[in-house]
Amino acid sequence: MAEKEFEPLIVTFCCNWCSYAGADGAGVARLQMPPNFRIIRTMCSARVDPEFVLRALSKGADGVIILGCHPADCHYIGGNYRARRRIALLRLVLEQYGFDPKRLRLEWVSASEGEKFQKTMVSFVDQIKELGPSPVHDELTTAEEHNDDVKSPVKEE
Amino acid sequence: MSFFDRFKKKKKNEETAAPKAEAKKEAAAAPAAAAKEAAATPVGAKNPTTYPTADLGTLLPGAPKNGKINLAIYWAAACGGCDVSILDTNERVLTIGDMANIVMWPIAADGKEKDIEAMPDKSITVSLINGAVRNTENEHMVKLLRQKSLLVVCYGTCACFGGTPALANLTGGKDDILNYVYTKTPTSANFQKDCGHADKPVVPVNEYKAPEGVLTLPVLYDTVKTLDQVIDVDYYIPGCPPLQESISQLLKAVVDFVYNGVALPPKGAEIGVTEKCLCDECPRTKEYKRITKIVEPYQIDVDPDKCLMDQGILCLGPATVGGCNARCTIVGQPCRGCYGPTHLVQEHGSSALSAIASLFPVLDDDPTMDEEKVIEIMSQIKDPLGYFYAFTLGKSLLNRSVKEEKTA
Repeated sequence: MAEKEFEPLIVTFCCNWCSYAGADGAGVARLQMPPNFRIIRTMCSARVDPEFVLRALSKGADGVIILGCHPADCHYIGGNYRARRRIALLRLVLEQYGFDPKRLRLEWVSASEGEKFQKTMVSFVDQIKELGPSPVHDELTTAEEHNDDVKSPVKEE
Repeated sequence: MSFFDRFKKKKKNEETAAPKAEAKKEAAAAPAAAAKEAAATPVGAKNPTTYPTADLGTLLPGAPKNGKINLAIYWAAACGGCDVSILDTNERVLTIGDMANIVMWPIAADGKEKDIEAMPDKSITVSLINGAVRNTENEHMVKLLRQKSLLVVCYGTCACFGGTPALANLTGGKDDILNYVYTKTPTSANFQKDCGHADKPVVPVNEYKAPEGVLTLPVLYDTVKTLDQVIDVDYYIPGCPPLQESISQLLKAVVDFVYNGVALPPKGAEIGVTEKCLCDECPRTKEYKRITKIVEPYQIDVDPDKCLMDQGILCLGPATVGGCNARCTIVGQPCRGCYGPTHLVQEHGSSALSAIASLFPVLDDDPTMDEEKVIEIMSQIKDPLGYFYAFTLGKSLLNRSVKEEKTA
């Protein structure tokens, strides 16, 4: 059985003012990037509720990356500082769940940094390829899967 | 009229319209007058709302016309506090006997599994089930009660959201738990040693062949489940345990239905909660201070009037739905979130996480700060997963721990 190379699925959140324009710049400059990521545009990196990240991971995303304006450069003055604290705390939570915290990354990409966008995405895809598929794939619980060793049958079934 | 005034007026109109819908949703909703009063309260004023106790009137007028209804109360993976909370209805609990035959209540009545099995389907009017589902016996009994009941009420936080038992999902599963409890904890390790089992510890088995026959024990599950992940549920009453106010609302709905034929709340209704978060009911004044140092209530003299968050105590009030009349925060203990998330939120923990993480101030060196420093700041919160998901892990998007294949 030939094993296919693992192609990760990555969810990217880009802030509207810097990183989304940066991603656009990377496209206009025709920089080569792996096709593993999907971009979701949010108005600010602080708009990314930790729930979005957990939802992405619970549905089988292998990695989540959040891109925002550089510190002191936020369109809303302090949004990226909030995002930074939330994501740092969320990484601690993911570590407790048993994830490798490297699956969640926060980077700063400004509107002019098409090249940085490309480099960031290439390195993140490489990192996730190294980590392998998300552990949620086979551990996802609808509870029934986990109870194979139950011998005594439940009578209604 | 300024722009903001117009906005306020519109909001007021919306809010006064809302209670009508609410009254339909919950048969025993707050009186409209109280709701109007709450809507008129300006933002920031120290005038907290309260969740009302239902007016249960005088004692019940004897048995219902069509004969007594059947009532079952069952506990699955729970501590028993929910059962005790039912007794909190004071003298009212004694008159429940006029209205209903209690066909099963393991903590107080004599009904057995075989008695329930002998009953025809849908012959129990209401089943109150508390506790999460974590072994085969729990699952069998709740499925049996679902089959025999018209209404099943998810009673208490463990049944609604998994509660504290669901934190077991963060361990490696059944074997991990049994191994730790029966061989690693000091008391059982000593016991195993004293009995000469230290090299081959005795742990419970599911089947044991005794000379008289085979004995069986329920099988523990790897994942603790909430009640609605196992069976269809009609109503939810969260709380650890649900307060007297919530129980009175449920009781009123059932009594009105049985005696007067008043329609029951729609399926899936949450009884005993408000539309807003706990802060709406908390009488403490908020000054919107930033947290610089996290403290526990015992480490400081808790100011009785100021918001606990302003004093550096982590409180889940902003993310938790109201209905408990701020029992804990009034006495200076932070909210731990037992009532679960507000209606528009599924993830209670992440909602609390983002609220609390935003309370850390932006520092002067923030533009040049490196990631280690940020992690150091956030590491002040010990055990964030256990803190934010203390009661709702069973219902969260990721409801158990995972294992990376390649651990670096």
